[in-house]
Amino acid sequence: MDNAILRRRRRELWTGLVVLLVLILLPLPIHDVYTRNLIIITLLFAGLAQAWNILGGYCGQISLGHALYFGVGGYVSSLLYVRLGIPPTLGMFAAGLVAGALALVVGWPCFRLSGHYYAIATVVVGEIGYLLFLNWDFVGGATGVYIPFNGDSWVTLQFRTQKLPYHYVALAFVAVTWLAAWVIEGSRWGFSWRAVKDDVVAARSLGVRIFRSKMAAAAISGFFTGVGGAIYAQYVGYIDPDSVLAGNFSILIALPAVLGGVGTLWGPIIGAALLTPLSELSRSYLGGSGSGVDLMLYGGIIVVVALARPQGLVSLLGPRRRKEVPDVRPA
Amino acid sequence: MDRRTLLMAAGALTLAGRAARAAEEVVIGAVYPLTGNGASVGLDAKAAIETAAELINGTHAPVATLLGKGGGLAGLGGAKIRLVFADSQNDPQKARAEAERIITQEKAIAIVGSYTSATGATISQVTERYEVPYISADNSSPSLNLRGLKWFFRTTPHDIMYTQGTFDFFADVGKKTGKPVKTVALFYEDSIFGTDSSNVQRKLAEAAGIKVVADIKYRASSPSLSSEAQSLKAADADVIMPSSYTSDAILIMKSMAEIGYKPKAVMAQGAGFQETAFLTAAGPLANGVMSRSSFALDAGKTRPAIDPVNALYKAKNNKDMNDNTSREFTALMVLADAINRAGSAKPTDIQAALKATNIPGDQLIMPWKGVKFDETGQNILCNPVIQQVFDGTYKTIWPFDLAAEAPVWNI
Amino acid sequence: MTETLLQAAMSGLLMGLLYALVAAGLSLIFGLMDVVNFAHGEMMMLAMYATFVIWQATGLDPLLQIPIVAVVMFALGVAVYRGLIARALSVQFNTGMVQIFVTFGLAIFLRGAAQLVFGGEFKSITSSWLSGRTVHLAGIYLPLPQVAAGLVCLLAFAALLLISRTEFGRALEATREDRDAVALIGIDRDRIFALGWGLGAAAVGIAGVMLASFYYVSPNVGANFAVIAYVTVALGGFGSLAGALVAGLLIGEIEALTAVVLEPSLKQVGVFAVYLLVLMVRPRGLFGKL
Repeated sequence: MDNAILRRRRRELWTGLVVLLVLILLPLPIHDVYTRNLIIITLLFAGLAQAWNILGGYCGQISLGHALYFGVGGYVSSLLYVRLGIPPTLGMFAAGLVAGALALVVGWPCFRLSGHYYAIATVVVGEIGYLLFLNWDFVGGATGVYIPFNGDSWVTLQFRTQKLPYHYVALAFVAVTWLAAWVIEGSRWGFSWRAVKDDVVAARSLGVRIFRSKMAAAAISGFFTGVGGAIYAQYVGYIDPDSVLAGNFSILIALPAVLGGVGTLWGPIIGAALLTPLSELSRSYLGGSGSGVDLMLYGGIIVVVALARPQGLVSLLGPRRRKEVPDVRPA
Repeated sequence: MDRRTLLMAAGALTLAGRAARAAEEVVIGAVYPLTGNGASVGLDAKAAIETAAELINGTHAPVATLLGKGGGLAGLGGAKIRLVFADSQNDPQKARAEAERIITQEKAIAIVGSYTSATGATISQVTERYEVPYISADNSSPSLNLRGLKWFFRTTPHDIMYTQGTFDFFADVGKKTGKPVKTVALFYEDSIFGTDSSNVQRKLAEAAGIKVVADIKYRASSPSLSSEAQSLKAADADVIMPSSYTSDAILIMKSMAEIGYKPKAVMAQGAGFQETAFLTAAGPLANGVMSRSSFALDAGKTRPAIDPVNALYKAKNNKDMNDNTSREFTALMVLADAINRAGSAKPTDIQAALKATNIPGDQLIMPWKGVKFDETGQNILCNPVIQQVFDGTYKTIWPFDLAAEAPVWNI
Repeated sequence: MTETLLQAAMSGLLMGLLYALVAAGLSLIFGLMDVVNFAHGEMMMLAMYATFVIWQATGLDPLLQIPIVAVVMFALGVAVYRGLIARALSVQFNTGMVQIFVTFGLAIFLRGAAQLVFGGEFKSITSSWLSGRTVHLAGIYLPLPQVAAGLVCLLAFAALLLISRTEFGRALEATREDRDAVALIGIDRDRIFALGWGLGAAAVGIAGVMLASFYYVSPNVGANFAVIAYVTVALGGFGSLAGALVAGLLIGEIEALTAVVLEPSLKQVGVFAVYLLVLMVRPRGLFGKL
């Protein structure tokens, strides 16, 4: 790597550290429970979007069925806890591994599909997952999994009303996922994916190696998405197919990355920071009337941002950034 | 008067004013789906709960029900109820967040909810943690009151009680007409409601020696239910027992008619079959359909409050009260009654008052024997009724002593 | 059992034709400009509301409304293209993803707007010429609204086929083959795209009119058909009208028969499984050219 790139990468790391510090300190002066909850949900979505970004942004495989890994992760962790007493601090890694493995199983046949065919295939796989869980008594079927509260504990990640612990868990989640993206961006895989996007002929000649690296991207992306699902499940205390495996959720995971800037380090974070509060606040303060205005606002903003800043909001951070934003065409 | 005294007096007056205002109102939260798929039910719930609050707060001629005199909560010096509504969008995570928000930001001292059992599960977890009462107005999953929660109170019957009612009716009407039920077809949607409902139906059918000739779990909100209707037709059970929401209820009745199948009897598990939208859309196809219900609009003789309350609700929302809205109305009334008896807005006092609740049936708009909670928080005096559609309206047909019409029983 | 299967097969056929028409509009747009229209279900929802509103105000039967709603939807399609999609296509970056998410945002917006204007209640057209009428033929029941829907869909397909033979149709084909080069032969690409969108919207609009005669109308009704529509298009192959027809029929049948033979709650799994299997063998769908 040449010096300019090394310097940029170091700069990104420093920026990351600063942002991390800010986020560590952020909730301390805020005592309003709802605001703390909002930040936690935003952090979770930022992490999920970043995990998606690894496959969808950097690798160019637009998965619209990522809720599958999220839901499976949530179920694995919850069932391990409820049925076997294994705490989610351990269970989340099992969740990640199962989700990652599932991503490999899905990726293997699907990666040879091009562009929109791949996207639709991921939607279909996601729907199959949803329907299977809905009808599978072993995982609770439609009744879902209820996670009873057993007292405050960092081991089981349960807290009666405290929000700070969840904040730091979610923060750790998004920080690690961000770091993974940073590592990938500068890795050989990252380079080869970018090369492939620009030159289809090169892609063909790199054939097998590209396939293997895509599989790796899928596994890593699936892993983190699964971990996110585990954290979510323990935070909410109840999961069922409708809330964690539905197709809508897949779009909600990908949206912050796309609007924030796919294939960029900060895009998903910025996207989540905008979209999550927007959807939560419009529901809380506009939704109560039942008029549907909150949906109109949310939908309208998505359209406006997508059109006004197609490279993602991250491009607003400066002209230099705009040049470095990769152009992602569906692989 | 010097300036300092003036300032102090002004300060004292403001504080007194603020305290007086605080004593004048009691904040109660309600979490329902106000947008998205459940919006139509959620908005009706909002209207029903608002009707209850207006009845309690307003100045009007006395109505023969709990707190029917109006003028606020006498036990708290005439304090008025202020409702805060929150949108759950039928998502358990959002319901959780909203419940938490209205408790911490809006200072709600209790929450009423929530239509689906999934949202009820997470809301009641929040209320348990913050130690405020949750009144389950219409969550029907039997497991909800069995989680060892201390702040969970359910006024509505749950699926086991409802289903028991339907099988008791089968036994009674079989004896009365000499045409007992020998076979049933279960037809249920694939969410919690459908699965819970069908599980109980299966068990009780077996206990009653009734054969289940078709056990059809269908995909909710399908584009088409023709195949499912065909399976029902082939089974030709004595009674079809559907557990469906409104859209599917409409579709299955139409689909059966389209393939020339007129079922001998339909005994619905409430929900969609009791909604006005279903009756309008299904039209003459709905006639003869039976359903378990918590509410009997025509029981005005034994429940004098029904007509005036229904009039209030109808003026607000342009339709009669039904199974859902009557329960939501009642939940707020029961909660308000407890607050009134407690004479305090402190959640622990309200919890104690709720535990001591013992409301006689004639003080309610429901045909229930009354409201009394057992140790798990379940109302044990809420017996369901069976209704049947006559000419586009539901009329009560059982228990026979409450019945407005004799059942049309053609099996 | 045979009667059950035959009846199910017939119902599946009729439903399949409807799926095919919904898919046709989507396939047209896909094939033309590589745009995944996530608002397709919502456009159908709008057509259904239009049908309901016109019926409620004038008593006009849905069958008679077809030309009216088709024209209105055509105009809507063109408007959506000019207002949003053209802009989305002209962006310098990530055009593929921008299109997906612009249409997705539009879908959410339309759902909210429908709730605002019409409320969340389910609405139904309770009396039309064909509602409630069924024809009994050789032991099979054919509900007339669905039969009419099937016939209209076939006619619509025939119309689309005719259009493809015209100069406009050939221009559409040329633009789809090589959208960058068509300017060289004097085809105004922008105009073609706009008309393509209009046609796609009109097609799904007609499907919506027919659906409104026997299905319920609500702000979220589009979502019930959306996934099936995307699968139909992908199975048939993007850009292929014949593919949309064949795939629609196939999916209608698989869905109906799976519901009778296996568990109805898993009928969509049957469809999806078949779809994925086909895709493994033919990655571009049955008739896909792209």
